[in-house]
Amino acid sequence: MSKGNSILNIKLFILSILILSTLLVGCSNANNGESTSKGKHDDMLTIAWPRDVGEMNPHVYNPSQLFAQSMVYEPLVSYQDGGKIKPNLATSWEISEDGKVYTFHLRKGVKFSDGTDFNAEIVKKNFDTILNNKELHSWLGFITKIAQTEVVDKNTFKLTLTEPYYPTIQELAVVRPVRFLGKAGFPKDGDTSKGIVKPVGTGPWILEKYKADEYAIYKRNENYWGEIPKVEKIKVKVIPDAETRVLAFEKGDLDMIYGEGVVSLDTFKQLKSTGKYETRVSEPIATRQLVMNTKTEQLSDERVRQALHYGFNKEELVKGVTSGLEEEADHILPTNLPYTKDIHVKLVKYNVEKAKALLDKAGWKLPKGKTVREKDGKLLEIDLMYDSAESIQKSMAETLQSEWAAIGVKLNIEGVELPDQVQRFKDNKFDINFYSNFGAPYDPHTFLNIVASEGYGFNEAISAYPNKDELIKQMAKVPQTTDEKERQQLYSSILKSIQDQGAIIPISYMKKTAIYQKNVKDFKFPANRDENPFTGISIKQ
Amino acid sequence: MGNYILKRIMSIIPVFLLAALFTTGMVHLSSVDPAEAYLTAAHIQQTDEILAQKRHEFGLDQPFLVQYANSILKICQLDFGISYVSNKPVWDEVIYRIPATIQLALASILIAVLISVPLGFLAGVKKGSAIDHFSRLLSFFGASIPTFWLGYILVFFFSVKLNLFPVEGIGTWQHLVLPSITLALPLIAMYTRLLRSSVLENLQEPYVLFARTRGLKEKTIMAKHVLRIAISPMITGLGMNLGKLLTGTIIVESVFSWPGFGRYFIEAIFNRDIPVIQCYVLIAAILFILSNLLVDIIQMYIDPRISRKEGQH
Repeated sequence: MSKGNSILNIKLFILSILILSTLLVGCSNANNGESTSKGKHDDMLTIAWPRDVGEMNPHVYNPSQLFAQSMVYEPLVSYQDGGKIKPNLATSWEISEDGKVYTFHLRKGVKFSDGTDFNAEIVKKNFDTILNNKELHSWLGFITKIAQTEVVDKNTFKLTLTEPYYPTIQELAVVRPVRFLGKAGFPKDGDTSKGIVKPVGTGPWILEKYKADEYAIYKRNENYWGEIPKVEKIKVKVIPDAETRVLAFEKGDLDMIYGEGVVSLDTFKQLKSTGKYETRVSEPIATRQLVMNTKTEQLSDERVRQALHYGFNKEELVKGVTSGLEEEADHILPTNLPYTKDIHVKLVKYNVEKAKALLDKAGWKLPKGKTVREKDGKLLEIDLMYDSAESIQKSMAETLQSEWAAIGVKLNIEGVELPDQVQRFKDNKFDINFYSNFGAPYDPHTFLNIVASEGYGFNEAISAYPNKDELIKQMAKVPQTTDEKERQQLYSSILKSIQDQGAIIPISYMKKTAIYQKNVKDFKFPANRDENPFTGISIKQ
Repeated sequence: MGNYILKRIMSIIPVFLLAALFTTGMVHLSSVDPAEAYLTAAHIQQTDEILAQKRHEFGLDQPFLVQYANSILKICQLDFGISYVSNKPVWDEVIYRIPATIQLALASILIAVLISVPLGFLAGVKKGSAIDHFSRLLSFFGASIPTFWLGYILVFFFSVKLNLFPVEGIGTWQHLVLPSITLALPLIAMYTRLLRSSVLENLQEPYVLFARTRGLKEKTIMAKHVLRIAISPMITGLGMNLGKLLTGTIIVESVFSWPGFGRYFIEAIFNRDIPVIQCYVLIAAILFILSNLLVDIIQMYIDPRISRKEGQH
């Protein structure tokens, strides 16, 4: 080949790359020319979410996103403020005296988005496919206790349990798995755990368009039985990066950023300070706790645990680290949950002198000229484990380290990955760990269940409690109670005893955040931690 | 030349076998138990019974060589298993996301070539000129700015402030501009310098002097002779980077919400979605080999001496 040709070849090479890439660009252009459509729809609310919404299957978990599932599918009952359970797809229900039989009267005239009727048949069909995969759903207490599901008549459904289990009604309000898919959504073999045919629900929203990893558009269900949403459409853009979400929001591409930890604390503060946007913080959704392993020698002594509690300034810690986005907590469970309002615990307020005195009494003395207390030649040294991806845990750990150094305790802090943190908690390979409860609608009964069951970490962690066996027995009794008064008494005494003995220290109440443009109106945080907040929301034109 | 290419393609086989060995062995070397990872991802409570059942299902209780042979058989049928998280075939998930990554990689290579070839060449030919200084400045910038930061800066100025391009997403050519510039800048920095020094070297070669004494036009010498030879190291570098771009646009994909392969892989790591990780490692190995092969073929096209040398072997 001649030299002239070679130059030509280079040109050809460049040209071919050019053509190839324009071709590729062109292709995807044709596919989703609509994806930039913010602004065209005045009545569309655009939000960002860190992850793809996932398959719109009501009966599966990760990677499906709870808020999205809750837009399309509905429960029999719904969880409202203060833990009140309100009618939803069921208008009323009766519980038999022995607490085992639940009879639900279903709402009449409810249609799925494909026009088919919602009735007792379809409720049973959904329950049956869920029960076919019991192992998948066994974390939800009442699922494992279902003995029988029954269609009484077109609008009456009966659920029989093997033993009384009072949280059944509350657990029916969770987002997954007990929500209802229309008949057309079921695959041929009826097993939804492997996938569904199409997302047919009764909810206020209908999935209109979906591109994996890019966006999902929901349009409102014009035939919805309840309050019809005010905005016509919701667009959920998938933006995994927190900074990018904020930039897109500042540019006006997004109407709202909503969720837990979706923006950093600094960003939230900064956006708030501009005054250009509305910012909101929710009611407490869970308590951030420190859990001490009382199996370790130092922490088996209640006086040491109390000394640690007295030995740091909780108010300043929470204010300083979270910039007021979280609130100092006095209770191990937020008080807006059912049965948690009036627990009369011993309040522990910051008191360095008392902390020092308690440690002295426990035999941990400070030798002259040293900074760490000792007992029988052993240093008072404690490890604190935190999730290295969580900046709040890290900052709190660092603050505690310096606070406790002042009372002569050497705190070693160790950041680990979340799966390791969970595993080490389970295996009891920790001194102190960060934890938080699940929140509404799972608590308080799920929290008790976790403390009572072996293998989660708590049960072993409270080993040094003298009344541990008694506590565990009481905890096992709670779900079986049928008398409201007795139940409240049990909760009060159990939660008080767990907290007063100091193995679990409440730190702060965690909250959800929302930032939205000024033309977004009527935003309200849902009482159920996992629900979507979209029904009442509107955009002022 | 055909022979040579065939030989090179055949050499993919041992590399593939090695990569498969590595991915099969990876499961045994890592501290993560696949059965446990599966149950965690699928949200199933772990009991010893279920764990044992899953281990059996994954074939983890079989001898290593059997596992290895099985995985090679499966991979040959493009069966990379089922994702622990989505419950869908890994291959389908990957194939869905690869076009977006290829698009981004090619666009950034294109930008890198279009800018660094003229810039590097001129900087070499006109050493010490303003254009040489400018290219040096650009290279310093390109080489020292971290990509994620550059991405944010570009977004901040060009989309939030000037409203010229979208912040994130995929769709139109405008969506492609900022992410591909972000990816291209470090390449431009590297290639401009590479080409410049290569041009300078070649200018010292006797063939340039010879061409001049033959009375060839300066333009012809530069374009037909110097550039053609000087560009060779740059093409090698390009090939190496093509593999890197096709597998490693992770940060940029995440900053610009680009729905590509890299972002999917990162999520798989967080979820300990082992089949996806295995698939990624294998594909990465094969992509690297293929892009190197592509480069060699281009090299031979431009400089036929290479293929003649190979032919003698």
